[in-house]
Amino acid sequence: MNMTTPIEKREFKIVGKSVRRDDVLEKVTGEAEYTGDVKLSGMLHGKIKRAAIAHARIKSIDVSKALAYPGVKAVLTHENVPRVLHYGSPHPRSASCTKDQFILDDRVRFWGEGVAAVAAISEEIADEALDLIEVEYEPLPAVFEPEDAAQPGAPLIHEVGPGGNLVLDPVRINRGDVEAGFAQADFVLEGTFSGGRPHPAYMEPNVCIADWDGSNKLTFWTSTQTSFMVRGILAEVLGLPLTKVRVLVDHMGGGFGAKQDLFQHEFLCALLAKETRRPVKMEFTRHETFVAGRSRHPCKIWLKQGFKNDGTLVARDMKLVYDSGAYGSHGPGVTIVGTTAATSLYRCENVRLEGRCVYTNTPINGAFRGYGVVQSYYALDIQMDEAAERLGMDPAELKLKNVVRAGDIAPSGHPILGHGLEICLQHGIDVLDWKKLRNRDRTPDPRHPHMRTGWGIGCEMHGSSAYPGIKEQGNATVKVNEDGTVTLLTGAAGLGTGAHTALAQIVGEELGVRFEDVGTIHGDTDVVPWDIGAFASHTTYLVGTAAKMAAGKVRAAVLDRAAMKLQVSAAEIDLSEGKVFVIGDPGRCMTVAEAMGPSRGIPAANIVANGTYEPTKSYSFAAHFAEVHVDTETGIVEVKRVIPVHDVGRVIHPIAAQGQIEGGIQQGIGHTLTEDYIIDKKTGRSLNAGLVDYKMPLSMDMPDIETIILEAAPDPGGPWGAKGVGEDPIIAIGPAIANAIHDAIGVRFHHYPITPEDILKALREKGA
Amino acid sequence: MKRIVELIINGEPRDMTVDSCRSLLDALRDDVGLTGTKKGCDVGDCGACTVIVDGEPVNACLMLAVEAEGRTVETIEGLQPGVDVLHPLQDAFMRYGASQCGFCTPGILMMAKKLLDDNPRPTDEDIRFGLSGNICRCTGYTKIFDAIKAAAIEMEAARS
Amino acid sequence: MRRFEYHRADTLEQASRLLTDLGDDTFLFNGGTDLLVEIRERLRRVRHVVDIKQIPGLSDITYDETRGLTFGALVTVGRLENLALVRQRYPNLRAAFASLGSIQVRNRATVVGNVCRASPSADTIPPLIADGAFIHIYSRTNMRVVPLAEFFTGPGKTVLAKGEIVTGITVPPAGDNAGKAYLKHGRRKAMELSTVGVAVSLTMEDGLCNDIRIALGAVGATVLRAPEAEAMLRGTALDAVTVKNAADKAMEECTPISNVRASADYRRDMVGVLTGRAIKQALEAFA
Repeated sequence: MNMTTPIEKREFKIVGKSVRRDDVLEKVTGEAEYTGDVKLSGMLHGKIKRAAIAHARIKSIDVSKALAYPGVKAVLTHENVPRVLHYGSPHPRSASCTKDQFILDDRVRFWGEGVAAVAAISEEIADEALDLIEVEYEPLPAVFEPEDAAQPGAPLIHEVGPGGNLVLDPVRINRGDVEAGFAQADFVLEGTFSGGRPHPAYMEPNVCIADWDGSNKLTFWTSTQTSFMVRGILAEVLGLPLTKVRVLVDHMGGGFGAKQDLFQHEFLCALLAKETRRPVKMEFTRHETFVAGRSRHPCKIWLKQGFKNDGTLVARDMKLVYDSGAYGSHGPGVTIVGTTAATSLYRCENVRLEGRCVYTNTPINGAFRGYGVVQSYYALDIQMDEAAERLGMDPAELKLKNVVRAGDIAPSGHPILGHGLEICLQHGIDVLDWKKLRNRDRTPDPRHPHMRTGWGIGCEMHGSSAYPGIKEQGNATVKVNEDGTVTLLTGAAGLGTGAHTALAQIVGEELGVRFEDVGTIHGDTDVVPWDIGAFASHTTYLVGTAAKMAAGKVRAAVLDRAAMKLQVSAAEIDLSEGKVFVIGDPGRCMTVAEAMGPSRGIPAANIVANGTYEPTKSYSFAAHFAEVHVDTETGIVEVKRVIPVHDVGRVIHPIAAQGQIEGGIQQGIGHTLTEDYIIDKKTGRSLNAGLVDYKMPLSMDMPDIETIILEAAPDPGGPWGAKGVGEDPIIAIGPAIANAIHDAIGVRFHHYPITPEDILKALREKGA
Repeated sequence: MKRIVELIINGEPRDMTVDSCRSLLDALRDDVGLTGTKKGCDVGDCGACTVIVDGEPVNACLMLAVEAEGRTVETIEGLQPGVDVLHPLQDAFMRYGASQCGFCTPGILMMAKKLLDDNPRPTDEDIRFGLSGNICRCTGYTKIFDAIKAAAIEMEAARS
Repeated sequence: MRRFEYHRADTLEQASRLLTDLGDDTFLFNGGTDLLVEIRERLRRVRHVVDIKQIPGLSDITYDETRGLTFGALVTVGRLENLALVRQRYPNLRAAFASLGSIQVRNRATVVGNVCRASPSADTIPPLIADGAFIHIYSRTNMRVVPLAEFFTGPGKTVLAKGEIVTGITVPPAGDNAGKAYLKHGRRKAMELSTVGVAVSLTMEDGLCNDIRIALGAVGATVLRAPEAEAMLRGTALDAVTVKNAADKAMEECTPISNVRASADYRRDMVGVLTGRAIKQALEAFA
């Protein structure tokens, strides 16, 4: 039985409409100011000297030639920066983090780590000065694979933490009785799965500008998803009160999760500016976005599940090992989220999970859309397809039978309230006429005798908000101005998703004013309410509810004031589209401006309200249906068509929601087929840190995407039932493609990316 | 060595004094103050810095500023036909959700303008081919294709 | 980026002198789409660049039925790509040009520059070699014309001496009995460096293959010919079995390496697949 509450049918004025986003006019005219566009007078340029060795102790570092180079203003090394241990990931609220990073250390833990920083009057001079810094290293034995790093006696990368190169103590989850579950099973499937190292490759390379004023206050422009976290950690490490650190971020050229670390260059930029008493800008090269940025955690998974002959899943035993790279960063969060996610998706009462995260001498892995779950659901969904094959069942049927349902306990430990996976799956099956598709004529096209076609389904669910790992909080301040316009102040970052527009829609709808009359102030930590940051698909869900609460409060205050002026009680009037009117007598009305403005000796009103919302978690769902063509001679796989069916609860801005889904699919296709940031396993050197050899699907590679969004399962915690959408699409597309490849050529792949070479090798082994 | 480069930018005669090794991209952004053109990779792989030089789209990062001497350069700041008038592509990009983070948008708009100037009725394949040197990491391109098709239809209607 | 000095030459002689006089870290600057990348990515130490784009007479494209197609050093890939003549008579060149970098890059990059960079994976080289192109070289003492197949001595290396400058390329005329193809293999459909590139140029007479040249890119230190495979095909009707055997032979003749883009074994496999497909495509001219 589907216990999901159907979505409330109601007429909206703004919500559910694809209003013009508040940030796009500037974007299409080139006027939008990104961090790298800020220019301050006297600004210096900072550059980082990076190690060309994966693991070493710095014996000596000589900067005298660099300092003497004309145009160089300052050089920093581990010898002259504060030695403060800090969290790489700015989520100190998450108890799982270990402080394991120094701004600069006398130790190198991965090839490409910064060992010194230069500020000079031009970028070219700073770059040239890097060559003049002489570093003498004492090489240390390095480990590049988690298996090697976890061996007893492996070189230790950190002295802090639980030891044995573990980033955190193993995450263990037990529900039911796994052994008893396997004892009931008619058959058992067991397999190992692995994922590569996809990189977010946001278009705007990381960049920041630091400027100290005469009162020793730091103003810091940076491309970040978590400006208040940047403020907090900078203040902590620099020993400043929060009043002396102001973080600014207006437009951002993408982040996809990875711009929520506190990066080495951000500290160094602030310190170089302090040292030189001049503004300093630091901008990554594209190469640096790879080596010094953050990628998805490579993962190895062992998965064993027991099934009954009717398809019932009776036991799940799973071990996951995530590769953290040289520092912890989001390793703990990813491990916890990715491991706990495996309690769900497909119902199973007997579950035993163990997640580990291991340091290696490779570039740091961090947060990336689909946070740990991309890896674990790839394994769960593919093995479900294998079970269907074993049972001689249609995978759609088996998935339908086993997907989680309303009332099941979610990974967060709560019963799922708004459940939509079954509906998404069924909808796709119906729209595509899946049975017919399964039974289609599979004779190869005589014009393309080597081409095989396949269809596959991938399922996923993903939480909006990082609860319970982080106890979250959304804040919003809403002010009504005396002319009837409304100002929303929010700390939520605008990394390109259109979140500010959605928030303004929510405020306008709840308050009863036109969308055009709501202005948004964001991106200045001195001005806007505290915000946890834009991540975990939570902005619309979490900050949206806070904005709705604040808007509700100011609405009540506006009604009170209008009631006084109209000489009726507040219960007798309503507010819509900027007009207050008497219910049943709409001729008696006034505009919000008239209600707010001064009249007959009454001064203009000052109406301000805050909303604070501390949510638990909602889940969004998707089933992706993908068609692939496989060239059996070259091994090349083309994704031809994707039908993503999503439940995101109430849709606030349809075009923006579709855009999230379609962009996530592009990244997920890349993950599954072509994208992998490759580290040489002998030296630790990056082999493809650039946009030619790190291969994202481009305009000619993208399939047709026919996005379907169902408002099937609203979550009572979100505004009018809205839930998150950002991360879901990247999770479901991977298994959909892998399952489609199996459908096309009868070969199972348990890893990503699935390369043409892998396809050919597998076809040969199969004897095709 | 510094050189003075005289050129036409968005219809206006300009001169810039630049180091001879400076890219046109850096000169436009830092010396002329036209920051709408973006630096996504600085090595010709992403198309974010696409500008039109003497009628042909190029990566501004792969051209030296001194090579622009005597040439006509069009950037995103010059795409609007008038102060309060948008190019149909700009309007379509807003309506169709073709711009998310917006960092690739200026380069893609310049490329799309050139595409429609040369080929007012592009097929889907023409559009995909025309944008193949511009990376967008947010949209999956779907909305960009929609916007360009819509703008082409509107421009065609406006001509007839 | 490290700084460098820019020099503009007005004549070939001046450019040539600058190249010899300014020292080892001096490079010719034409389209710049490779050189600037190498400077930014610190792959090449450059102190001086010599821009030849103001030198007159290097921008011409000519075609006649006896000499064929000749284009100067400054002719961009994009200009040739969009030339009706190239589309009609040299579909192999057209395919190679349209697959190099991006439209933006092709509007700056020159074919001569792509050739002189001497990358084993350069797209323009295999079809030019298969077509039997010649390269025109200026020197202050003796000008020379060299068959393109003899121009390369290793990855990034050519027969050019210090101060020599390539002024243009001539591609022999494409007769009515010619069939040509270039197939590029990569992971994406654009913005790719080829994993393997195979060019086939052939002529047919009375249903039999009169002549055929196969050039293989990215599977050796330079672009390679496959002489034994060619020999197996000449004089045959290019039937499926013969083509398959020749394609297998081409796999033996190449010498690929493994790198981040593909393994040697996979590259060799693709030589086999693409050789067969390229011959088939070249024959479509007669269909």
